[in-house]
Amino acid sequence: MSDHYDTIVIGAGPAGLTAGAALAEMGLKVLTLDEQNRLGGQIYRNVENASEDNLNKMGEEYRRGLKLAKRFRRSGAAYSGNSMVWNVESEGRVCYSRNGVSTRITANYVIIATGAMERPVPFPGWTLPGVMGAGAVNGLAKDANLCPSGKVVLAGSGPLLLLEAALLIEKGVQITAILETTPKLPPLSIISYIPKAIPGAGFIWKGVKMLLDIRKSKVPHYKGVTNIKAIGENGVTGVEAVCGNKDLKFSTEMLLVHFGVIPDSHIYRLLGCRMEWEKTQRYWYPKTDQWGRTNFERIFGAGDSTGVSGALASEFKGELAALEIAYCHGIIPKYERDSLAEPIRRKFQKDFCPRPLIDAVFAPDPKRFSFEDTTILCRCENISVGDVRNLVKEGVTDLNEVKAVTRCGMGPCQGRMCGPALGEIVAAELDLPISRGGLLTIRPPLKPIPLGEVAAIDIESGGVDPANLFKNQSKQAGH
Amino acid sequence: MFKHDSPASTSVEIILDGQPLSVPAEVNVAAALLAIGKLISRISPTSNKPCSPHCLMGVCFECLMEIDGVRRQACMTPVRQGMIINRNLETGERGQS
Repeated sequence: MSDHYDTIVIGAGPAGLTAGAALAEMGLKVLTLDEQNRLGGQIYRNVENASEDNLNKMGEEYRRGLKLAKRFRRSGAAYSGNSMVWNVESEGRVCYSRNGVSTRITANYVIIATGAMERPVPFPGWTLPGVMGAGAVNGLAKDANLCPSGKVVLAGSGPLLLLEAALLIEKGVQITAILETTPKLPPLSIISYIPKAIPGAGFIWKGVKMLLDIRKSKVPHYKGVTNIKAIGENGVTGVEAVCGNKDLKFSTEMLLVHFGVIPDSHIYRLLGCRMEWEKTQRYWYPKTDQWGRTNFERIFGAGDSTGVSGALASEFKGELAALEIAYCHGIIPKYERDSLAEPIRRKFQKDFCPRPLIDAVFAPDPKRFSFEDTTILCRCENISVGDVRNLVKEGVTDLNEVKAVTRCGMGPCQGRMCGPALGEIVAAELDLPISRGGLLTIRPPLKPIPLGEVAAIDIESGGVDPANLFKNQSKQAGH
Repeated sequence: MFKHDSPASTSVEIILDGQPLSVPAEVNVAAALLAIGKLISRISPTSNKPCSPHCLMGVCFECLMEIDGVRRQACMTPVRQGMIINRNLETGERGQS
């Protein structure tokens, strides 16, 4: 039974590394699988090999990852990089592909720590070469010491957009403009969040300092921008936008976009986990209890994949999931679980303080997403916003029906890039709250793999018959 | 398009679209190609238009390339000495997903 683990952790970012380390420290047999070939996830990407220069530029938030990586290595937790998980079953079976070979392993518990992704927001020209995520460029710097060499425009909303802008300014990158879709003045409703945010004033002060740095650089910085459009034939050459009653136009070699981050929820949805709607930040997240357990006894979630709350909070979530799993294995008694969890929860609360205020200031406003009919919604299948709207006008109301008819969400990315906007567009067209519209159904494999790999899997450990692997698991779970 | 903050230490030889090339070692294929100015990752089989890597974290599938005979996400595949990479820019992708 060498391929059976006490716990399998999926994802080696802040939550996954913490959970893996904590479980190994308590003597459990744990395996952490990660799609990247180096641990750290997105925020701590490549931190173990980072140059001193990179550690300094990326700041304390990045350097902290070194400590976590050291803890993880010291714990003796097994780690398998380059491992792409393509199926998870609620009984604790996991299939993953590594170097062209698929393996099926089992565990008593699975912790899903797949983190977050940049919110994909379709706009005219977003499929042009040279339009990239701001997070993508941040990753390139951490991974490969690369930074844009030509003119750059940054557009979108959220603290990470400004963070990336400040970083590129510091590196001397030629930024033509920052186009923030966030309104000039935050909504009045944020006042109610301010008192609770005061213990987190340090975090907010950092943000203010960052804004001052951007202002000092004299980079044109527009707020309340709408109608962003990337211009070009075979690559982006310019950006147009509207700010108030002013039309803006810039020539550029790159357009970096960022519209906040949302949980990477594909595995939860594949499993049929109960999903809930976050109405301020407008994303779906799995319902979990105070330890991160989903509606399936053996399936836990941790980190930003259960709701975006940042790297430190993710570590706390990983720690809490590990404590509950250790308790369920009989490694620690209940009172120890609870007394160890107490200080973690306190730290979590303190770290969480400024978050509702930040989330409200940068709340995406569905009225400001002015999706144009001709804009490509589904990049993989080349389906436009208008294609979807026309279908809804014809009476199709279910996202999965839209998918079946138009192929929107059916390409290799499996709705990762179009799903969130598809939900917004269909709900707006029907004039229904998005929470009623549901989600695209996710089926295995989570990412395309060669069929030969599936055929070659050694199957003897029971579970779903190989012939049924690709059937819709979530339907069996009663959803 | 991109420049190195600090000079790349080592490099590997790959064959890109039939051409031998030297790219930085110890990075993923997408980053290695961006480092030498190769922005276009593929021709979209549905729109027939060029694509470039968009998310670089395994989400968008815009960097799908034929790597050693298999279509893979370039951003999730570490570059290796002798790797044969085809972007199929003239013909587009053969076959469908």
